[in-house]
Amino acid sequence: MLFQIAWRNLWRNRFRSLLIALSVAIGMWAGAFIMAIYFGMGNGRLRIAIDREVSHIQVHHPGFSDEQEPKFHFDTDSVEQVLREQPTVKSFALRSITSGMLATASGSRGVQINGISPAAEQSTRQLGDFLTEGEYLDTAMQHRIFIGADLADKMKLGVGQKVVLTFLDTSAAITSGAFRVCGLYKSFNTPLDERNVFVLKTDLDRMLGLHGRAHEAAVLLQHDDDLDTAFYSISGQLPGLKVEKWQDISPETSLVVSSLDTYTIIYIVIILIALAFGIINTMLMAVLERTREIGVLMAVGMNRLRIFGMIMLETVMLTLVGAPVGLLVAWICVEWLGRTGIDLSGVAGDVMQDFGYASVIYPVLPLNNVLQTIWLVLLSAVLSAIFPALKALNLKPVEAIRA
Amino acid sequence: MENRTVIDAHNLSKVYNPDTIPVNAVNGVHLHLERGEFTALVGPSGSGKTTLLNMIGGLDQPTTGKVVINGTDITALPPNALIDFRLHNIGFVFQAFNLIPVLTARENIEFIMLLQKIPAQERSRRVEELLLAVGLPDKADARPAQLSGGQQQRVAVARALASKPQFILADEPTANLDSHSASTLLDIMEKLNTDEHMTFLFSTHDQRVIDRARRVITLVDGSIASDTAPAGLHHS
Repeated sequence: MLFQIAWRNLWRNRFRSLLIALSVAIGMWAGAFIMAIYFGMGNGRLRIAIDREVSHIQVHHPGFSDEQEPKFHFDTDSVEQVLREQPTVKSFALRSITSGMLATASGSRGVQINGISPAAEQSTRQLGDFLTEGEYLDTAMQHRIFIGADLADKMKLGVGQKVVLTFLDTSAAITSGAFRVCGLYKSFNTPLDERNVFVLKTDLDRMLGLHGRAHEAAVLLQHDDDLDTAFYSISGQLPGLKVEKWQDISPETSLVVSSLDTYTIIYIVIILIALAFGIINTMLMAVLERTREIGVLMAVGMNRLRIFGMIMLETVMLTLVGAPVGLLVAWICVEWLGRTGIDLSGVAGDVMQDFGYASVIYPVLPLNNVLQTIWLVLLSAVLSAIFPALKALNLKPVEAIRA
Repeated sequence: MENRTVIDAHNLSKVYNPDTIPVNAVNGVHLHLERGEFTALVGPSGSGKTTLLNMIGGLDQPTTGKVVINGTDITALPPNALIDFRLHNIGFVFQAFNLIPVLTARENIEFIMLLQKIPAQERSRRVEELLLAVGLPDKADARPAQLSGGQQQRVAVARALASKPQFILADEPTANLDSHSASTLLDIMEKLNTDEHMTFLFSTHDQRVIDRARRVITLVDGSIASDTAPAGLHHS
């Protein structure tokens, strides 16, 4: 009957109860939705980092990671053989990398020159999909260069124009060569676009003096969960090389992903504090309005524990009326926006891409975080009810009945 | 030999604001009630009737003195034990009825038995009995707001009886009732007193109640001024 009393008491002031249930619903929705957006952003950043930038695993000569000099290369045959034997590997790309100067008639700029195999690069990070103008690299056409649209803009370059790349070869001799711009690209990461240019690996290897060697192997796995297995297997079979996970290669992405929980909890706690004050106010009013009634309940023999329980029960019920509604609306929003995405390019322009995030966010709501939010909402409701419930407990029946 | 004493109040006093402006609401009252009494506590407003009733009912603590109910000194009980004692031993009827507005008449009566952890079947049977006793079997599912004042007070009497208390304390039970409702209520209470030997102690201004009482205790300025039996009955 305590449940009955608590439930019916809720609806004595229908408007007030609905208002606070609505607050709980909005709080729940806001908490879950903010969480979904944050996770969507983090997930987007993670996918860009893994699928479009660094892949799951990279292999380098130990010296290359520290100094990025072209003399630190490894044998491609042995690495290729190891990678092909890995059942968890979806694709991989071997790259020759060096730093150099890109010069045009209007100026020069420091760049990272990436010698790639177009097909492998396409299957590993879909580089060709970023094409905005011209054509992607083609093994049939030598001395072509694929550059970022932003870099082209700054260097006043267009498709078909020539550039000169100058760099040190593996014997530290200066070498240079002319390349014609075959196409422009725009990825999700503007700073990287301005720094990276792509040429055929065969062209770059010839100029660097490399044969059957590479500086980097980028490995894309079938599933994210395969990371540890693949890492230990590859690093075990390539003892002389430095094998790294994406977390080590892109620590800033790892930090973003790992700090998501913290940020979302901070936001949710702020929302819940506001919600708690609403609940305290409502329940306090409910207790004060029912002073006489509570006094009578105490007089006829309802003990303090039951009075306390009744107030707590009312609060929890009030929360349980609002919370599922908020959660349902949040779920609908996330389901819908998770498909269509939230396009921020209209309001934020390229700002998101400047920081390595996609302009379109696809909210996601992990189940364990939803449960976490539900617990937090319930906890804040219960904590909020303590003060009004204590207020009820402190009533003296003889005074309360006279109220 | 059966102990017929239900209420034994010794030298009860209540002083409000003892540290500022002391008000002596009740002064050294001795009161002895036996099982089956139908007693009215009368006196002008401010004479201490409600305060005395509250102390006897364990709702208020006396400044001095003690209240012994059926052999238990309730003034010495800790708060939770006192609440439990009230639940099992004392029935209350209030001037303003004070039913739980969200519960039906049936549930209001049943609620007390629920607190006493009486099994559902017995609760149900007793609710029917009590509703019949107060003449409201057809109002079982009505909420207090759907009942007249007289009907509400009859439900309140049924609620007070539900716990099978030692006695019922009724604070001005007819004050908010019209004469017909008051008369019906008094008939019911009188019948319960006669048939079931239920002990009643009323505080009242109402001459209709005083006329029905078999013992009338008059309080003036917190002290018992007289203790008489208007119908010729004698009480020591």
